Amino acid sequence: MNETPIAEINCIRCESPLESGDLRCAICGQAALNDQAVARKKLAIQILRCTGCGAAITYDPKHQAPSCSFCGDVVKVESIDDPMEQTEHYLPFTVTADEARAALRGWLDSRGWFRPSDLSASAQLTQLKPLWWVAWVFDAEAFVSWAADSNEGSGRSDWAPHSGQNNIQFDDILVSASRGLSLNEAAAISRGMNLATKRQTPEGADRDATLERFDVQRSQARQEVSAAIHRIAAQRAQQHFIPGTRFRKVKVAIVLRRLVTRRMSLPAYVLAYRYKDRLYRVVICGQDIRLMVGTSPKSLIKMIAVGLVVAAIALVFLLILAAGS
Amino acid sequence: MATDLANSTSDQLEISCQSCGAKLVVEAHLRSTLCPYCASPSIVSRPPSPNRPSPTFLVGFVVDHEHATKAVKNWVAGSHIFARSDFKAAVPELTRGVYLPAYLYGAVANTRYSASIGENYTVTETYTTTDSKGKTVTRTRTVTKTEWRPLAGNHCCYVLDVLVSASQGVTNAALEAVEPFDLRALRRYADSFISGWLAEEPSRTQDDCFRLAHDETIAKVGAMLKNFMPGDSHSNLEYQTDLSHEVIDLVLLPIWTYAVRYAEDRPPIQILVNGQTGRVAGKVPVSAAKVTFAVVGVLLLIGILFLLFMAAQG
Repeated sequence: MNETPIAEINCIRCESPLESGDLRCAICGQAALNDQAVARKKLAIQILRCTGCGAAITYDPKHQAPSCSFCGDVVKVESIDDPMEQTEHYLPFTVTADEARAALRGWLDSRGWFRPSDLSASAQLTQLKPLWWVAWVFDAEAFVSWAADSNEGSGRSDWAPHSGQNNIQFDDILVSASRGLSLNEAAAISRGMNLATKRQTPEGADRDATLERFDVQRSQARQEVSAAIHRIAAQRAQQHFIPGTRFRKVKVAIVLRRLVTRRMSLPAYVLAYRYKDRLYRVVICGQDIRLMVGTSPKSLIKMIAVGLVVAAIALVFLLILAAGS
Repeated sequence: MATDLANSTSDQLEISCQSCGAKLVVEAHLRSTLCPYCASPSIVSRPPSPNRPSPTFLVGFVVDHEHATKAVKNWVAGSHIFARSDFKAAVPELTRGVYLPAYLYGAVANTRYSASIGENYTVTETYTTTDSKGKTVTRTRTVTKTEWRPLAGNHCCYVLDVLVSASQGVTNAALEAVEPFDLRALRRYADSFISGWLAEEPSRTQDDCFRLAHDETIAKVGAMLKNFMPGDSHSNLEYQTDLSHEVIDLVLLPIWTYAVRYAEDRPPIQILVNGQTGRVAGKVPVSAAKVTFAVVGVLLLIGILFLLFMAAQG
């Protein structure tokens, strides 16, 4: 049977790498070259026989493979490959657990005027867990056709239509595949990752660090990366190409080339702290202490006080207006 | 195990069964056959030609004969209310399970388009009306209007996975009716996958198939463009598409074909079953008597309601 692992070669049409088991390019549909294909020059008749008992073999839908109906032997065939995604590289932790703990205190102190006055003093750290979360990082060249409404050139309506085409280069774009971190959390700490520090194994954290696994198959991963490319292309078109300052109905069509996707595990600290019987969560980038995102309590008394002051000012203002008229 | 012992005429090929030696005739449009004496499967590998290339891919059968027959029986019995009663009661006859040749086409579609884009806006209008006391009053209302703006541009995208039938026996529309196929389960073609099954050679020219694929691709681009247009609405959408970087590969698709004979004086109905997903499709014969009866019934109902309405009006 044909056993043709195809790896580390590029599509001859769009130059995106083909991965092991790809029979055709996932981006442009070009069939992968088959080194074992032999152009038959003469007519030939053949019966395929079981290597065990010599009987003719037939394709069996139950096994989805050719099998011998006499001895039951199933012929091994090239498997349909849609493997689970696997991490290829890890970024090391460069922030220590102590630094993360100290950063949390600083972050609690900087929560603004509405924070409870005793937040930093009363908050109790209940968990500090190093986590390698999973993400795809991709590079690609994209020829983007876009159409959108914007306020530029609008007449009686607030909107006017525009269209255009531009090349967009994507370099080291990170798309979260994490189930442990929310999209907001992943986006907030992604900027701090230094992809040049990638390693073959996890480094820089305790042994009890959580190693998140990809939980999607390759075909679904490709769909998610493709959806992210469309989303980011629409954002870039808004930022750089579509005239105007307000936008809606931004549509993009993309011809991709040289899409290279890497599967990475990225470092983060997930911290949980308790304040007055409630738990709050903070995520800190494992490579940049300045990047953190989380939730914190608000002081109800301060909020009510501000509300009362605003109401009092409004009342005084109304009384002045009433007296004037 | 391969031999070249074969005699061919323009339409048929005479081969010897390599198990029992019986003389077999293989039709020109088939690439496999079963010996009627010893049931040995033979695969005929012809030299490729422009209109008869070697298959590149194949989707294997997943649905077996038993499940396909059950699906067809359910489909026939559950066909719509205007289907002929003798059709609903007919027993489907299996014609065969066959690997149908089709072309898997893809291209880069460059489209120049123009359209009128409707941008809605609201205005407050003043109007006069009569109130409940019969007085003329002036009121205001908010009305949505549309400002039409011209838009012209270019749209460029990949169009992938367009499947067109390469068999004269199954129209492209009939194939579309049992699509989609899950092309993630595509396999590289190997003779062993068709062993024991009938597999057709392409009987449509590649030019014809290209034409069909182009038409289907341009229709897909049209549907994409409708979604691509900005604004609240659009009209006068016109487009011109150039297809480049085309790829076309011959793929064998698993199809169960059934014939349903429901009347002596009528030709049998062909029903196809997607051999991968079990989806069933075919043309259901409509009962003229049922349609006439329904039309007459609706007219009678309208007439009765009209008479009741007239009687109520006095």
